[in-house]
Amino acid sequence: MTLSRLQLGQYAVFLFVSLLVSMPLFFLVLGSFSTAKLPTDFSLDTMSLQNYVKVYSDPGTFELFTNTLIYVTGSVAIGITISFVLAWLVERTNMQGKIWIYAGVPMTLAMPGMLQAMAWVLLLSPRIGFINKSLQSIFALDQAPINIYSLGGMVFIEGLRLVPTAFLMLVPLMRSMDPSLEEAAAVSGARPLSTARKITLRLLAPGLVAVMIYQAMTALEVFEIPGILGLPAGIYVFSTKIYAVVRSATFLPAYGLANALAMVYLVIALVTTYFYTRMISRVERFTIITGKGYRPRQFDLGRWRYPAFALVLLYLFLAVLLPFLVFAYVSFLSFLQAPSVAALQTLTLKNYRFLAQYGEVGSALRNTLLMVLVTATATVILSFFVSLVVVRSKFWGRKLLDQLAFVPHAIPGIVMGIAFFWVFLKVDFLPIYGTVWAMAIGFTAGFLSYGTRSMNAALLQVHKELEEAAYVSGARPWRTLWRVFLPLMMPTFVGVWIWVVLHAVRIAGLPLILYEGPQNQVLSILIWNMWDEGYVPAVAAIGTLLMLSLLLLTVAVRYIGFRRQLVQSPAV
Amino acid sequence: MIRIQNLHMVYQTERGRVHAVRGIDLDIKQGQFFTLLGPSGCGKTSTLRSVAGLETPEEGEIFVGNDLVFSSTTRKVVPPYSRDIGMVFQSYAIWPHLNVFENVAFPLREMKRRFSQQEIREKVDRALSLVHLDGLADRPAPFLSGGQQQRLALARAIVKEPRVLLLDEPLSNLDAKLREETRFELRELVKRLGITTLYVTHDQLEALTMSDVVAVMEEGRIAQQGSPMEIYQSPQDRFVANFIGLTNFIDGRVKPSPCETASIRQVETAAGDLSCVLEEGMKPGDPVIVVVRPEDIRVITDAKPRHNLFQGKVNAVIFMGDSLECQVLVGSQRLRTKLHPSSAVQQGQNISLELPAERCRALRGS
Repeated sequence: MTLSRLQLGQYAVFLFVSLLVSMPLFFLVLGSFSTAKLPTDFSLDTMSLQNYVKVYSDPGTFELFTNTLIYVTGSVAIGITISFVLAWLVERTNMQGKIWIYAGVPMTLAMPGMLQAMAWVLLLSPRIGFINKSLQSIFALDQAPINIYSLGGMVFIEGLRLVPTAFLMLVPLMRSMDPSLEEAAAVSGARPLSTARKITLRLLAPGLVAVMIYQAMTALEVFEIPGILGLPAGIYVFSTKIYAVVRSATFLPAYGLANALAMVYLVIALVTTYFYTRMISRVERFTIITGKGYRPRQFDLGRWRYPAFALVLLYLFLAVLLPFLVFAYVSFLSFLQAPSVAALQTLTLKNYRFLAQYGEVGSALRNTLLMVLVTATATVILSFFVSLVVVRSKFWGRKLLDQLAFVPHAIPGIVMGIAFFWVFLKVDFLPIYGTVWAMAIGFTAGFLSYGTRSMNAALLQVHKELEEAAYVSGARPWRTLWRVFLPLMMPTFVGVWIWVVLHAVRIAGLPLILYEGPQNQVLSILIWNMWDEGYVPAVAAIGTLLMLSLLLLTVAVRYIGFRRQLVQSPAV
Repeated sequence: MIRIQNLHMVYQTERGRVHAVRGIDLDIKQGQFFTLLGPSGCGKTSTLRSVAGLETPEEGEIFVGNDLVFSSTTRKVVPPYSRDIGMVFQSYAIWPHLNVFENVAFPLREMKRRFSQQEIREKVDRALSLVHLDGLADRPAPFLSGGQQQRLALARAIVKEPRVLLLDEPLSNLDAKLREETRFELRELVKRLGITTLYVTHDQLEALTMSDVVAVMEEGRIAQQGSPMEIYQSPQDRFVANFIGLTNFIDGRVKPSPCETASIRQVETAAGDLSCVLEEGMKPGDPVIVVVRPEDIRVITDAKPRHNLFQGKVNAVIFMGDSLECQVLVGSQRLRTKLHPSSAVQQGQNISLELPAERCRALRGS
């Protein structure tokens, strides 16, 4: 049987995605058994279990587990508590100024984690932290009272960072609850507190657990926060440890060891993802969403309305405003000093002038632009064709293709980086090792899961008969693509594209592993390196500009109304 | 105009293979209004979609005009966009991103032959006026009512004057009143244009009122094919009789008679002997089912001697608006009759019923 052009296309998509996803994983596994110093020296003779033995016999690994566990559970506890309170306040109470939360909380998504961590270093580092310094002078302390370079610091900042996504996932949960379930408890004689405990919380529980697992996955994966706050103090979690093994100057690079560690890390991530997907299917069985448009009864806060609103403002202040103000302030300083009248009189534009003259900034900007545009466009196009095969074709491997495209969701960015690092070194017919193209490919593979989830959901909305009507009207497949799918899917295309831009521009972990040489820096690497080298006011200047542009982009997205695409949850 | 030979169709589903169409032969003449009628899952939509080219059958041959568009032996599959057809979908499939004019112009713009803007304008306007949508050309398509969307879909299907028009339950999403009006309009329009039409529906009333030929389908096969009158008055088996209209079924056996070739013969039933129309070749003792429509049964008040006269007791009277349905128990056999709403019958009343012999048809029983 000969293959039609359509089937050829389906096979091409299938093969391409299989390669994109399985090749890095293949090299990751292979590399974990390698005892050669460099990936390029790898041969099958040098394979052994040595790396795994080393990982498991190292007492540092145990500490790594403990640190990661404390970091993940701590930040999830903080993040969920804050977001639960916020979601409850806006959805189930008569609090004032809810619009501030609806508008403000998603804005925090625009703030890169790396910058947020840096801002808090400026506030709370023992040596230079503004808050520490003023506390010291007020209470005449010998030592700085708070040290941000600690597990506690990481937990606090990551906890704040988890809030917006958790909030956006919790709001629909609370909104979709049928009020008659609570009313039934009330007429059965239950008092409000007892109703909340026995009915409301029980109904929310499965969804809440799913959100918690999802947040744990995010915290586990994040590199930037533990990277800025933990690395200088030698406090490692999995993501930073792997980075340190490969990149840090204090170690001799041990690539095989990094792979073995990455494998352990990957297994943890896969197990978490497995529990997440199981939880999601339970939530669906337990579903309380009936699609009816009702507004749950609102709890009367009474006198507590104003304190509640103050609490919300405090969160927004800590999560967005304060970091931004610190950065903006420092960016106008000629040297780092705590805010004072004297400091305010010496404000200068010199850092911004420096940026304009410093050659690496220009090349990093160009690289970032290229990398982000290529990644976003490639992700959109690839995800669309994958979803087309998955949702619309009768291709035998469509279920498998869907699962393949979802796999990257479970792979932490650092692990993806290590895996692609091997690919680009070993597959040397493509001379892209160390360049922005390598990063773009790595990112595209990573964002494929998000892209295909969004496209699947959107394609399901396009009635199949709309496509068939074009065929019977005489339109060939590519004309149908052009005249029916493209216009109908445009909002999703734009939504996914912007989401990818917002994320690719601020993630530092994968680019840090994959780049080589100053000519290949992107913005996130540049900020990381300049911070490392102590150019704090210059970093503040870049950071201020980056935050402003991301904020504008986020506002634009929300204004155009692609709200759903911003929720980082897979289409569940 | 449309010829289908030995069509077989198989779906792979999660629960295994489903043999949806099991050997269908059809020959639809030029200009004919041909209807596939049957319950859901009988394979009528699969057959229509095979003609459109939206499904690929397992086996068989399909001709549109003189062109072979599908053949399992030569593995020829002409894609839908090369078949020169017009189709109206159940959901109408109006493209929401195009306005009314562009929806109708779409097929013209996809044709090999390039039309000038002027020609497109004229053709679209004519199609829109045929379906009474004049003046709505610039309206965004989602702003139309259900009935208008249905007519827009029809305009789009006929705008390039295709050889055949395929209609997949086009009226099922309209409300009852509108459906009734549209039935008549639709038939009138395609007859005026002279387009060969293949129509799929599960609604017997649509099939009977609109079609030249009706094919009743059951489990992937054609149970009976004929004019609406034939289908209604002479159903060939229990399924067709049951599916179309209300029917009384009376089980019985053929009685021996002196003239074995007479068309009206005696059948022995639990309620008594019954004269009825027998198919050729039925022998005494053969099990049969006698079919008689409720509206053919007459209530008798005088005392004249008649054939097929039965005494019964009124079991239930249901007022239906335009008629009175009266259920009568004759022994253990229940008979449904349709009476004029002014008829004076009471529950529990004794009643005489005449079943006219020429209206009673004996079908082969199992």
